[in-house]
Amino acid sequence: MAERKGAGPRHREGFEREPARRVFAAELREVNLQFKDGEDEKSPSYILLPTGIRANRIFFIGTLTEKERRGDQNIFYHARISDPTGTFFVIAGSYQPEAMQQLAKIEPPAFVAVVGKPNVYQSPSGAVLVSIRAESIVTVDADTRNCWVMDTAKSTLDRLDQFGSTEDSEKAKAHYNTDPEVYRKMAYDALTQLKI
Amino acid sequence: MEVSTIVERISQKIEQKGVQADRKKIESKIRRLIEEFGVNPAEAERTVMNEVAREHSITPSGGSRSTDLLEIGTLVPGEWVSVQGKVVSLSNPPSPSIAQSGIIADSSGAIRFVVWSSANAPRMEQGKWYRLESAVVDSYKGMPNLKMHSGTTIVGVDSDAILLPSISPIADLKPGVGSIRAKMVQEWEPSHERMLQTGLLGDESGTIKFTIWKDEPEKEKLAPDTVYNIYYGQVDEFNGRLSLNLNTAVYIADEGDIEVGAGDVAKGVIVHIAPGSGLIKRCPVEGCNRTLSRQNYCPIHEIQQKFRYDLRLKAVLDDGTRSRNILLQRDLVEQLSGITLDEAIELAENNPLGMDEVFYRLRDATMGRYIACRGSEMDGRILARQCEKLTFDPAKLADLLNRAGGA
Repeated sequence: MAERKGAGPRHREGFEREPARRVFAAELREVNLQFKDGEDEKSPSYILLPTGIRANRIFFIGTLTEKERRGDQNIFYHARISDPTGTFFVIAGSYQPEAMQQLAKIEPPAFVAVVGKPNVYQSPSGAVLVSIRAESIVTVDADTRNCWVMDTAKSTLDRLDQFGSTEDSEKAKAHYNTDPEVYRKMAYDALTQLKI
Repeated sequence: MEVSTIVERISQKIEQKGVQADRKKIESKIRRLIEEFGVNPAEAERTVMNEVAREHSITPSGGSRSTDLLEIGTLVPGEWVSVQGKVVSLSNPPSPSIAQSGIIADSSGAIRFVVWSSANAPRMEQGKWYRLESAVVDSYKGMPNLKMHSGTTIVGVDSDAILLPSISPIADLKPGVGSIRAKMVQEWEPSHERMLQTGLLGDESGTIKFTIWKDEPEKEKLAPDTVYNIYYGQVDEFNGRLSLNLNTAVYIADEGDIEVGAGDVAKGVIVHIAPGSGLIKRCPVEGCNRTLSRQNYCPIHEIQQKFRYDLRLKAVLDDGTRSRNILLQRDLVEQLSGITLDEAIELAENNPLGMDEVFYRLRDATMGRYIACRGSEMDGRILARQCEKLTFDPAKLADLLNRAGGA
């Protein structure tokens, strides 16, 4: 027991909620590594982003383009949400009743803000995909969407500036063979779309 | 003849300590020792001196203890010290085993003191100067504390030295005694029936919670938006947060205004709205104000049929690297969501979902929005004083484009 309490340097005093990372769809699409921090069943699970940071939760804003209700016994919603770089796949099922009810009310197309937990899984055809289990989905206006694009570009550039100097980014470099220029360009392209 | 010089010597010594000498009694003791028991005069003098000193709880001088005076501002726990200072505050002793408690100050600083009842010490008066010899500095609840016990000598001193408390910025306060010049920026509902007033004081450097307890005689309350010179407040620490107890303090309203420092600024996105947000009911009992549960149950005053509605938002603000708890009071909730308290009450009363409907509306109006909050952090939660929505800033876009494309 005593050992688990001090498990690793990430455990600060008291409970601290995991931050919601800002990530563009094009970067999330590349993710294929998910790991747990600790042996415990309840240990948090993270995905590793190619720009070199772990994420247990993400926050993004995009355009809800499609939603689909699936299942009869266990109803869940499947949604596609696009940002300037690509598409996020979002699910909200009976374990996320709040998000499911919110999503049920929103008619595409609409700008939506999503907080959720990313999951890496393998499709029957063998492809590795990332989907987001939504905790909350609300509609927002275009101004808030623009704030998010800037915020996410800034976060991505911040990660690239630190690339190679943190433990997570060393891991990302080894795993994804990340070329920082690719992601710098992705951020640039996303930003240029804001100029109307 | 010899006996009378000894008596005089002993009497003078103890009178130096501020104790009235009973010359007849001393003389009879000396005579008894010398004449009846054949003790030599030097030994008799020593014996009687010690006896009288013990009787009056004073330390015979000339012992091995240092009587060098130290500056109060330099005292550190774990020392035997002698100091000279002015009693600037006396407070009601918290326990019968303490005869007096208060604050003593010199030009270098101030310290809280207690005099144990067992010390049998002369009572000190507020506003007078004293020399305290062989007191002990220790630490009580994280504050340095000067203790007067049976070995401590307390002597009144004539001094008309003007004592100017050194005012420090709120951000520099440490547990102990502190003096500030600050504005009362917020008054909160007292959380305890013994509390007279509580709220927030601020200066350019930041803010601190203050409390005035009901006491004898009753202290004066602070007036909102007024600047005060506050001398010798007691700075307490609890869970890493400082607060200022004004019961020991002198406070004088001052002219002028202070631009209160922003306190902590937190920017980010609202990523979570916690239960307990939205329209809430508060206990109507004077001074209680606790939130009632669904069944109108107050944890202290049980079921309350009457109640007061209020709006609040307990949320998580996340900047992508750190998430912080924030608490917004009614005015900020109204400003941010565009829903007034009256509208919220009407919604709750005319809607099948009742108060839940208000929660959902507030959530949909605030979740996912970028905001900046200013306020002070308490128990890991920022109590917001100001709040603004952040909007898209084209100037920053240009900077970011340069950063992304500049490689």
